[in-house]
Amino acid sequence: MDSGKVKFFLGEVLRNFSRNTAMQMTAIGTVAITIVLLGLFLFVRAAVAGVGASLLDQIEISAYLRPDATRAQVTAIARFLAQDPRVATAKFVPKRQGLAELRERTKGTIDTALLTENPLPDKFRLKVRDPDDVPSVAANMRRLSGIDNVVYGQKIVQRLLQLGAVLRRIGIAVIVVFFAVAGIIISNTIRLTVFARRREIAIMQLVGATNTYIRLPFICEGLLDGLIGAIVAVALLAIARATLWPRLLEALPWAQLAAAPLDPRLLAAELILVGAAIGILASWISVGRHLRT
Amino acid sequence: MISLRGVSLVYPNGVRAIDNVSLEIAKGDFVFLVGHSGTGKSSLLRLLYREAKCTTGEITVDGIRVDRLRRNRIPALRRHLGVVFQDYKLLIDKTVWENVAFAMQVTGAHTRDVMRQVPRVLDLVGLSHKSRMYPSELSGGEQQRTAIARALVNNPKILLCDEPTGNLDPTNTTEITALLQRINLKGTTVVVATHNQAVVDRMRRRVVRLDDGRITTDEERGYYYLGLGQSQVLSG
Repeated sequence: MDSGKVKFFLGEVLRNFSRNTAMQMTAIGTVAITIVLLGLFLFVRAAVAGVGASLLDQIEISAYLRPDATRAQVTAIARFLAQDPRVATAKFVPKRQGLAELRERTKGTIDTALLTENPLPDKFRLKVRDPDDVPSVAANMRRLSGIDNVVYGQKIVQRLLQLGAVLRRIGIAVIVVFFAVAGIIISNTIRLTVFARRREIAIMQLVGATNTYIRLPFICEGLLDGLIGAIVAVALLAIARATLWPRLLEALPWAQLAAAPLDPRLLAAELILVGAAIGILASWISVGRHLRT
Repeated sequence: MISLRGVSLVYPNGVRAIDNVSLEIAKGDFVFLVGHSGTGKSSLLRLLYREAKCTTGEITVDGIRVDRLRRNRIPALRRHLGVVFQDYKLLIDKTVWENVAFAMQVTGAHTRDVMRQVPRVLDLVGLSHKSRMYPSELSGGEQQRTAIARALVNNPKILLCDEPTGNLDPTNTTEITALLQRINLKGTTVVVATHNQAVVDRMRRRVVRLDDGRITTDEERGYYYLGLGQSQVLSG
């Protein structure tokens, strides 16, 4: 490695970077704010999705058997459920147990002692691995002979699934907007440095420097903007997590469960990567525009 | 070394800067391009280093077909050429040494070559003792010598000068002219666009006269003004 070359190159990058401190700070600040918002958004989305998922996890399908269902039909249904990979657990609940559970659940509100006979049918109670599969598993079961009715809280499941889809869509839109804003500001910052260095660029072009070589210091500058901004943002998020998180947990105990799927280290790495990518992309575009004209 | 055949340059605004010019410049030649301001001297040079692209015609520079050159090959062409301007185009925040070295560094030259080549060209232009100074600390002539050193540092076979003495007093002009002659004697082809009569008349080298984008005369040992001394007139 030619250390003189590296030194020259790094010198150029640092000179660029320190030339317009105010503008660099603006760019870094914008990236930082953008990424803090992005981080918060990802967190909120994960939390809402987590709550939704935990609700969905509690969803059970109850498949009620016809009163005249034969033992052979029951065995066939049990075998069918055992073979379906989407089904996590399937349990046969005889009507006696069903009544006992009902008594337990309605203790004090309904006096089941008044019942002269057990009105409940036998049923299968099952859990599905992926909540998205609940409607289709239920529909499948309805077609089996011996099954009278299938119940799973259709409305709630559908609402939650819809909410999840809407949140995903809003999430993508918000992320795109954040990206664009940060990109435009970095791009403008780089454009100012490009403008400040137009003599250098003209001379570089004159003596036969390739466009790639001319671009490189600016790309590095954009990368620095994005990277520093992202690191500041991650630091702010970490501080927020350390100070606000315990209080939030007190207020909203379920948040603990919801936030579990979000690995803070992975999230930090992703956010920093996002910052670096915005920086590179934005500077690439703005230098390219200058070189073409 | 340089060959133009039926070259025209029409700017987007319709101005015909170069009009059907044909010109051959041999290796090791020293050529003055003379003519009034706005007759196309600079435009002709710009075509050679592909700052402008000719509208019609063929241009060959050091074996490279400049008229057909793809954009990404322009840097390769420029490494065969040194270009010097009236306003020097030095970087004010870099020293003489750094200005000259810059031209090598940005083409990805090895530090070892930079360390060897920069002192050599600074010595050639007589600025070794001022290598640590900034352009603002130099006279106009010294600044132009720095620019010439920068143009030569990549060992180009051709040196193009656009009014190199335009901002200089007579003493500095003489210095620069002598320097260009020395460079030419070392085998570099030199093309100088100028309207400095004294320079042209003292040197008595080939003079190509442009008028309104056309070559009107091409003399082997010419003067600035046509008709002074014995001149062989060739039509452009």
